[in-house]
Amino acid sequence: MLTFIEMEFLKLKRSNIFLLSLVGAITPPFLMFIAVLAFGEATSFETMFTNGNMYMTAIFAILLYAIMISYLFGREYNEHTLKTMLTIPISRGKFLISKYIMFLVWILILTIVTSVSTVIFGFIAGLEGFTLKIFIDGFAQLLYANVLLFLTFSPFVFLSLLITNMVPAMVGGAGLTLVNLMVYSQSWAPFVPWVCPYLIASGEIAGYSTSVNVSYGVILVTFIIGLAISYIYFTKKDVAV
Amino acid sequence: MVDYVIETNNLSKKYSNNLVVNSVNMHVEKGKIYGLLGKNGAGKTTTMCMLLNLTYPSSGEISLFGKNPKDYSKEIYSNIGSIIETPGFYENLTAYENLKIISKIRGDFDPFNINSVLKMVNLENAKSKKYKDFSLGMKQRLGIAAAIMHNPELLILDEPINGLDPFGIKEIRTLLKRLSHEFGITILISSHILSEIENIADVIGFMDAGVLIEEISKEDLHNRLNKFVEFEVSNSDLAVNILKELGLKENKDFTKNDDVINLYSNLEFRDKFNTLFVNSGIDVKKLNLCEENLEDFFTRFVSNN
Repeated sequence: MLTFIEMEFLKLKRSNIFLLSLVGAITPPFLMFIAVLAFGEATSFETMFTNGNMYMTAIFAILLYAIMISYLFGREYNEHTLKTMLTIPISRGKFLISKYIMFLVWILILTIVTSVSTVIFGFIAGLEGFTLKIFIDGFAQLLYANVLLFLTFSPFVFLSLLITNMVPAMVGGAGLTLVNLMVYSQSWAPFVPWVCPYLIASGEIAGYSTSVNVSYGVILVTFIIGLAISYIYFTKKDVAV
Repeated sequence: MVDYVIETNNLSKKYSNNLVVNSVNMHVEKGKIYGLLGKNGAGKTTTMCMLLNLTYPSSGEISLFGKNPKDYSKEIYSNIGSIIETPGFYENLTAYENLKIISKIRGDFDPFNINSVLKMVNLENAKSKKYKDFSLGMKQRLGIAAAIMHNPELLILDEPINGLDPFGIKEIRTLLKRLSHEFGITILISSHILSEIENIADVIGFMDAGVLIEEISKEDLHNRLNKFVEFEVSNSDLAVNILKELGLKENKDFTKNDDVINLYSNLEFRDKFNTLFVNSGIDVKKLNLCEENLEDFFTRFVSNN
């Protein structure tokens, strides 16, 4: 499996999408930096992390991850590499799982990039009060939210296998971002899979009447359904040549 | 007993109500080059995809190296190299990096092997060039490099000469013949270009509308090609009359086209006909014993079946 992951990294070499994702990961801290300078939105590193993480997990990550998933899975169809890879031979299940793991690794990289750039932009903005604890807490919160988000993206894997074009992923991601913004303050927000990760990681879920376990359940069910349908579809469907 | 590397039994593929491969019984002998010949849409690619487990059969059985590929998938497919239509590689990566990915995942990565296989297909100078900058011919050659890189015992090549220039076609033909004759690699190659299949294959499978009509060895094929005598004469009308007086029927035993008369029966009497023509004052400019070409044979064969 390590070789698979290593090769997935090689596949990303000179890839514009990878660079784009890095820019996407830096964008929320950068916007916070602008907000600090222009509106004095954050006065401490703690606020910078809290707000930056919220923008990342509740808004940017949805669109970004939808594009990443579409690229990771869809490119094998669009560049006709699936027929090359599957005749090596590789087990279809193993191939799919390696893609899932690569997606998680990619998310971890972006999490690090976002957290480190938050610190850098914070210092450039002249914020004070930086401590290692603030960094670790902010990073852990973002990491936790992103890992939960990763689980909620398995239905997108199925969609990217079904429609290999990246445009539907972008439209879907943008649509879902809007949905997130709309339902965020609603009482039923803990039932929406793509809102739950932020609510749980930030602790805001405590402000809702719904138990946190319900949100975990929603995330888990979403993951299992997405994983199952993507696995069945990928292993049973003929490869288009 | 004949050792078949590929054997199928009533192999069929149906998409909705469209039967694209219909009860194909294919037999590819070890060490032979088997040419699968058919028009576009005859079912060649689908058949090959089923052999490679890219497409699942609707019914029928496949045996590769005498084993069921469902039970010995890894063992069997590790021994096969393939190209299905245009080869698929990662466009942002170089030729070397693409081959590295394949060999790493297969578990036999060896930089020397990659370099030597790139040299074999004349891509050693393009190994650092990105795949998206390759010409169609270069892509095809990289596909062949990927297919033979792991020294497979069986090559399944779907239209491998597509996009190649005449020099490229000749190179690939020579390479495939070498792989078969020197290294004993069995090759299943498909094409709609009849001359190519005729040039390279030991056995030809004729496929049309999803049906494998017949498998014919090269020797048998030449025995079955129609032979005829071509006369080029100064007075074809008079020559036709002479033949008719001898009881031969136009459009059955012979045909006339301007000054050319093609004789399809009584070929052993061609010298007698020639004497009769000359004695009747007809100049015989040309007399050839000809063989039907594969194109005509294929057309006749498919329409008869």
